[in-house]
Amino acid sequence: MDSALVLIFLSALRVSLPLLFAATGGYFSEKSGVAQIALEAYLLIGAFSAATFTYYSKSLLVGYLAAAVLTALFSQIFSLLILKFKGNSIVIGTGLNLLAMGIIPIISKTIFNSTGSTPSIELAQPAPYFPYVVLVITLAVSYWLSEKTIWGLQMKFAGEKKLALQSVGISPAVRQWQSLTFSALVTGLGGAVLSTSLSSNYSPLMSSGRGFIALAALIFAGWNLARALLVCLFFGLCEALQIQMQSNEAISTYVAAEFIQMIPYVATLIALLILRSKYPPAELK
Amino acid sequence: MISSLNSKKLAPWLGLIAGLVLCCLLALFFNESPWHVFKILTTSFYNSKFDLGLTLFYTTCLIFSGLAFAVPMKAGLFHIGSEGQILFSALIAAYLGTAIVPFDNSFSFVVSVAIILISSMAAGAASAILIAFFKILKQAHEVVVAIMLNFIFAAVTTWLTVNRLQSPTSQNPETALMNESFQFLKNDYLKTYFENSPVSVFLFAALGCCVLLHYVERRTFIGYKIRAYGANPHAATRLGFSQNEILMMSLGLAGVFSAGVGLTEVFGNAFQYKIGFSPQYGFLGIAVSLLAQQNFLGIIGSAFLMACLHKGASDLDLETERLTRDFSRVLQAIIIFSVAASYYIANLKRKK
Repeated sequence: MDSALVLIFLSALRVSLPLLFAATGGYFSEKSGVAQIALEAYLLIGAFSAATFTYYSKSLLVGYLAAAVLTALFSQIFSLLILKFKGNSIVIGTGLNLLAMGIIPIISKTIFNSTGSTPSIELAQPAPYFPYVVLVITLAVSYWLSEKTIWGLQMKFAGEKKLALQSVGISPAVRQWQSLTFSALVTGLGGAVLSTSLSSNYSPLMSSGRGFIALAALIFAGWNLARALLVCLFFGLCEALQIQMQSNEAISTYVAAEFIQMIPYVATLIALLILRSKYPPAELK
Repeated sequence: MISSLNSKKLAPWLGLIAGLVLCCLLALFFNESPWHVFKILTTSFYNSKFDLGLTLFYTTCLIFSGLAFAVPMKAGLFHIGSEGQILFSALIAAYLGTAIVPFDNSFSFVVSVAIILISSMAAGAASAILIAFFKILKQAHEVVVAIMLNFIFAAVTTWLTVNRLQSPTSQNPETALMNESFQFLKNDYLKTYFENSPVSVFLFAALGCCVLLHYVERRTFIGYKIRAYGANPHAATRLGFSQNEILMMSLGLAGVFSAGVGLTEVFGNAFQYKIGFSPQYGFLGIAVSLLAQQNFLGIIGSAFLMACLHKGASDLDLETERLTRDFSRVLQAIIIFSVAASYYIANLKRKK
């Protein structure tokens, strides 16, 4: 019994990895005052580029770097349209999600001649702990950036009171742009975990709403990163339970797979009902 | 002078043209000739009468889903949950179509058709009002709630179709055909004219809805309330308009229009519920509605335009080597982007 519990918790940690990355990414964007619903797109782009680059290089490190860099590049579309052309961030975010869903199959068709999954990855040497190392580094850097540096303070002021930032001669748009790019970079890493560690290839729409779940976690953690990560772990637990239940014959004969797969989404809705969102960044749009 | 007056209205259309050009240039990256892609996108809707009928069918669905997005947008809500509502209401209609057997007189036939239509619309409205509940009770962001509900409805409808309503005579995951008597749109004038393409009289219903909504918005108190709330929620609540009522009403209406898409498919085309029948009409509707700037009459034009492009994009599969039907999504995204950017450029011109 004990070992079963430990197993569930370990697998909860494992499946919540993409959520943790995405929530950290979302935190930087939302704190700087830009509503971020394109996390889903970043996860997909990160997952696809990591799968492709790891497939060709057989090295996880290259895959993760490619995911981070390409996702950060991809997010420049978002930054350009929001900060330069003053678009509505929800509209642009929806567009970005559509773009990611549409462009990946076409690129995949060009590279692998199939619109479905990419070929599965064979690593030179397996590295099961690599994603955890990346997570720890990312969280440490994020904490340091947002809490210990002037940049972090200015980034938060861009979300709380733009005028105050302008009055000391710093452009809020520049801080938002840097923050948005960092946000995409971190979320792209989450995508890399999704395709290279949680599975061994990219399959279409594999993020399956995780970007939105991470955003929901952030919202009902009251835009507090530490609490948001805890909520993500809880969602991870739900997903781990779902996986356990699907592989458990006694349960899966009584409860249909579709209902078990629904657990993370229903949990998100219930959490939204129980917890009230408070303290949003003042200039969040 | 004229251009300064109209620049704001023209902006999205210029954005559309810019977006189309961008898309065709994008084809260069995939070793396709932009002109070839452009020709397929813009001309394939009139290859045959059947193709035109198919485009008009898409137009019908897109008008409904565009309205489902536009009505809550008037109240300042970003409603992207119509995909789930479409699936749910379509399944309800298909199920009732198999479950209800009308007696042999025309009165009971009319009643049973009405029951199906109304319960499908009610299902759509109820699933949309769920979003309003979350918004009212917990100020939850409607986008997150809507996306979660989309996933849940997709799972529930799939389960119901496969495990409870699966057609015994079919290998595909779909429900049984509706009763013969409910398939009365199978051989109507429109279908025969367009060589049995999916178009049906629902096209006229959709056009009627647009005109009706245009009237309701401009000339009635309800329309005024929703517009006032969308423009300034604080002022509207100060005037004594109930926020809850406006949220419920606009989302409820949106749910009814989402059901319109489901009914167009189930009553006008397939006469059954097929898993995966919708190429994400709910999301296509966003682009349609933004292109028309939520103008209800403009939606007719933009829906037809998007339908032509969607038809063209699905032909890319056959006509080009690397571009697939997913290009339709790229097209939508780029159109959304360029329309959003065009407002800024139009405003810039006005200031000068």
